Amino acid sequence: MKAKHIFLTIISVMMLTACMDKEWEAPDMTEPAYGNNSIQQDATKQVTIDQLKTAYANAISGGGFQRITDDQQLLCTVIGNDIGGNIYKQIIVQDSTGAMVVGINGTGLFPFISVGQQILISLKDLCIGGYGQQAQIGDEYNGSIGRMSTKKWEEHVRILPSHDMSQIDTLDFDIAMDKNRYAGHLVRLKDVMIGDADGTTTLAPEYKAGTTLTYNGSTNGYVHHSLNGESMNALVLRTSTYADFASLVIPTEPVTLYGIATRYNSTWQILIRAADDIKVNEK
Amino acid sequence: MTVALLAVALHGGAQTPTTSERDTTEVDWEPAFVFDESELDMNEESDVSQDVIQINSGSNMYLSNISYTFSPMWFKFRALDQRYNDIYMNGVLVNSAETGSFAFSNSIGGLNDAYNRSGDFAAPFETNTFGLSAFAGSTNYNFRANNYAAGHKVTLSGTNRNYRARAIYSFGTGVSQKGWAFFGTVGYRWANEGFAEGTFYNSLSYFLTLQKIFNNRHSLSLSTWGTPTERGQQGISTDEAYWLANDYQYNPYWGYQNGKKRNSRVVKIFEPSALLTWDFQIRDNLKLTTSLYGKYGMDCRTRLQYNNSLNPKPDYWKAFPSYFYDVWGLTDGSNNDIAAWQDAYDYWTADKANRQIQWDKLYYANSQMNAVGGDAAYYMLARHSNQFALHLGSTLNWDINPTTKFQAGVQLASNTGQHYQTISDMMGAEKLHNVNNYAIGKYVGTDPRVQYDLNNPNANVGVGDRFGYDYNIVVQKATAWAQYSKDMGISHSFISAKIGGTQMWRDGKMRNGLFADNSYGKSGTARFLDGGFKIGTNLNFGKVHVLGFGVSYMMNAPNASGFGTGAFQAPEMNNNFIDGLKVEHMAAAEIGYAVNLNWLRANLSAYYMHGTRLNEWQNYYYDDVNSFTYVSMTGVEKDYYGVELGLRFKVTSAFSIDVLGSMADAKYMKNTEVSYLLSTEGTVTNDVLYNKGMREAATPLTVASIGLNYNIRGWWFTLKGNYYDRIYLSYSPSLRYQSTLIRSGAVDNDGSLIVPEQAKGNGGFMLDGSIGHQFRIANHPLSVNLMLTNILNNRKLVNRGWEQSRSSYTTDQTTGEKSTIRTYNFQKNPMKSYVQGFNFMLNLNYRF
Repeated sequence: MKAKHIFLTIISVMMLTACMDKEWEAPDMTEPAYGNNSIQQDATKQVTIDQLKTAYANAISGGGFQRITDDQQLLCTVIGNDIGGNIYKQIIVQDSTGAMVVGINGTGLFPFISVGQQILISLKDLCIGGYGQQAQIGDEYNGSIGRMSTKKWEEHVRILPSHDMSQIDTLDFDIAMDKNRYAGHLVRLKDVMIGDADGTTTLAPEYKAGTTLTYNGSTNGYVHHSLNGESMNALVLRTSTYADFASLVIPTEPVTLYGIATRYNSTWQILIRAADDIKVNEK
Repeated sequence: MTVALLAVALHGGAQTPTTSERDTTEVDWEPAFVFDESELDMNEESDVSQDVIQINSGSNMYLSNISYTFSPMWFKFRALDQRYNDIYMNGVLVNSAETGSFAFSNSIGGLNDAYNRSGDFAAPFETNTFGLSAFAGSTNYNFRANNYAAGHKVTLSGTNRNYRARAIYSFGTGVSQKGWAFFGTVGYRWANEGFAEGTFYNSLSYFLTLQKIFNNRHSLSLSTWGTPTERGQQGISTDEAYWLANDYQYNPYWGYQNGKKRNSRVVKIFEPSALLTWDFQIRDNLKLTTSLYGKYGMDCRTRLQYNNSLNPKPDYWKAFPSYFYDVWGLTDGSNNDIAAWQDAYDYWTADKANRQIQWDKLYYANSQMNAVGGDAAYYMLARHSNQFALHLGSTLNWDINPTTKFQAGVQLASNTGQHYQTISDMMGAEKLHNVNNYAIGKYVGTDPRVQYDLNNPNANVGVGDRFGYDYNIVVQKATAWAQYSKDMGISHSFISAKIGGTQMWRDGKMRNGLFADNSYGKSGTARFLDGGFKIGTNLNFGKVHVLGFGVSYMMNAPNASGFGTGAFQAPEMNNNFIDGLKVEHMAAAEIGYAVNLNWLRANLSAYYMHGTRLNEWQNYYYDDVNSFTYVSMTGVEKDYYGVELGLRFKVTSAFSIDVLGSMADAKYMKNTEVSYLLSTEGTVTNDVLYNKGMREAATPLTVASIGLNYNIRGWWFTLKGNYYDRIYLSYSPSLRYQSTLIRSGAVDNDGSLIVPEQAKGNGGFMLDGSIGHQFRIANHPLSVNLMLTNILNNRKLVNRGWEQSRSSYTTDQTTGEKSTIRTYNFQKNPMKSYVQGFNFMLNLNYRF
């Protein structure tokens, strides 16, 4: 029976030791595992968004693009991304002088470049231009400004240690404000009535065959609603049918909206980022 | 197989237990240890993992050789799924009542010394002492301690397969004078890294059995065993990935974390089992065997999950160069971006880390989500399937007279399968809510329909907490059977029949928001009456030729769950059974011929099976509706038919030639009713699936082998050349829905639908060999055996794979019409698994 004892001992020891897929320690994150940590912040290279927009005003307003050849850096904070599925393949950045769109040919960007994150963009070899006069950084696409590849983006961005949403300046929206200066800015619209609110219509309903959309239709997967009865040539709330909040029934009472005030030529297009950018009870 | 029966009958009647093909004592030609479980292990490495059916029959040349000869290519006997193969232990049927299959590697994997010499195989039309043989045969393992030889045995193995090293120690007492017998075996299989990069293997196995023979009438036997195993899986990918990685074994499941290789798909299994047997010899010619089998099986499989964020798979389609440039010339080229193609190519090929999971980036992403107070973007899930089973089998064997035998028995089984998902690693994230993110969009985040569990809404879950789904499936089965066989003149004939009942229900532990009234608590109970019969006869002409025939008709209750099948519409979401779920019918007929001469043993058989009212079930993402779907197919009709040949030609006493071959077909005979449930909104859509003519996948339908065996002075040499062809990949149903075909424009000028051809994998030739010798050391035998597989290193053979279900076009969400053609073509990029290149196994085996 000695063998039996040997046997049971072997089994017991093996059962206790038989574990291989250990608990994994989190990786060292002193340096972000995203972006290009070799970009050195250099005050002498820094430009502001306003300086950029001024320098490339023709490209922005003319619907063209221009490649940036100077070794310049843009220090800015992320104010919008694709977390709610409404902003698509772009992020919006802002500094104290203005805001602009960064076109990146990738989805699921939000966990890598979150709102409140301060970043440094190395501008050399990127393109700048305008789409509907909305200033945008990206890459060339068929003779106009388009998105850069995610690979290129990661080579040109450095994630900085600062992450602070409270430092973001939120403007109270004014339809008359200067589009060249403020387009792309994070804004707040207080006590605003969203058009088409009838208690059932949603922000961006899917089109159903045989029905007619009664408001400014669904084009390219976006649905527009008026705000405060303003002309829809001047101001719209723009929502993607893919947005997480597309099926939100439009509130029938005034709301406070937070969002990105982008422009399409002379029209303000307000893009909200997530469902909680609509505050029903906030007056 | 019929042939097998015939042959078996020839050798002393169908009731004669046949030895396992791994039992080398019976056939002097069989090189020792040729078949090894590591061959089976090859098949474990994927989420579609299936055990291979173990087909053995010592007296049938075809059956006794196919399992190990063709195992590198996942050859399935008659293209049948594992649920058509019944496994018994000491007379009790142990196939899972829930899935219908016996999971060999979860249960007795690694216990070679326990099962190697104890299996009694019965071909489909072969009579036996334990039950009606299944369509892919049945095996009854004898786990009584008196079945094992006394003494010690040590086995040491080295290999470059899925594990690197193996050690087994076994010890048996034989039967003592007081009637006690004990046998135990314990083994360990290990690999820090297996054949494929990023995999590992860590498996203990133990088996203990004790028997008390009270007198020549009563004996009790108690056995217990288990194989706690942890292993890292290998995933499969597309040809483009293999090309970019310059490796046919490229494994997308792992990535570096802190400089170490971390596998995202870790399987942990442990299925402690026990078997109590009472043998009662009532009279000399009447024996009652009763066995109670119980197990609590734990099966846990991890996977990396993402939450609305970028898919972290390194081989995600958007990461491939061909996402950027239409390399097939199927689009107008307007979206071609050759620079981006080059960028992606450079990225894939520049550094191995680039084509693997980038764990550090995912942890970084979660730290960003923590900064904004959001839910985890990436986390690890573990899918659990815990099975508590109790089975009771009792069989009466009555030898009425030397030519007439009768068997009857009952088999009872009860199974509770606990299915749930837990968070296994938050990967640094601080929050995660138990919410159906796929439904958000269709519904807003505050809508109760997005809750996975309305009884505990918006629960913030952490490691170990249940997430997404949690339900039990309970299945109870009872079967009674009987068999009568008689020898008359040159014939040996039998008739057997069974009748049984199955009942099943689901018991939901979460109240899913999309099915608030129909997901929590017990479902209704579905009950099925099943049964069938078999008739067969063997005609023995002289002592050399045997001709056999068999027919059978079986009705089987649907399996509650399992690979490719199921009884519930979307068990992760609700309590509904599949609409139109019916008992499956299968008719089979077989004819076989066997010859047994001194210089030639051969078996030839032909078979035909026709299945109707079969049920199939799958789940996958369906592009055109932008949703994950649960897909049920009912009323499936399939035909299986083919011819099989096995022969051994003894040229001299030292040299023989083996020939094996099978030409089979296994296909869908008509288009099928399909219905799919959208996980994003819970709605069900009915459609017609144009699957007529699709073939059974993941097995070569044509196989052929020539083997040369030579022995001299105690040395054995074998060399086998194996040829495989007609390997189909699993077809994707959603590409063949009527609505999809119309949407994609697959309509010819006459208005007929053009159904895409099923994707195939490469067949080809593989050369295997082995060398063995038995030495004597300290007067005890030491066997040494070296097995060489795929000697010519042919890495281009595909052993399985599947078509991608995604569409190569986008669907306009507003009109439901085809919108744009994607640059990336999913249909040109099926997922394929290639065989391992040259590999070996060295076994040392010492008895003392």
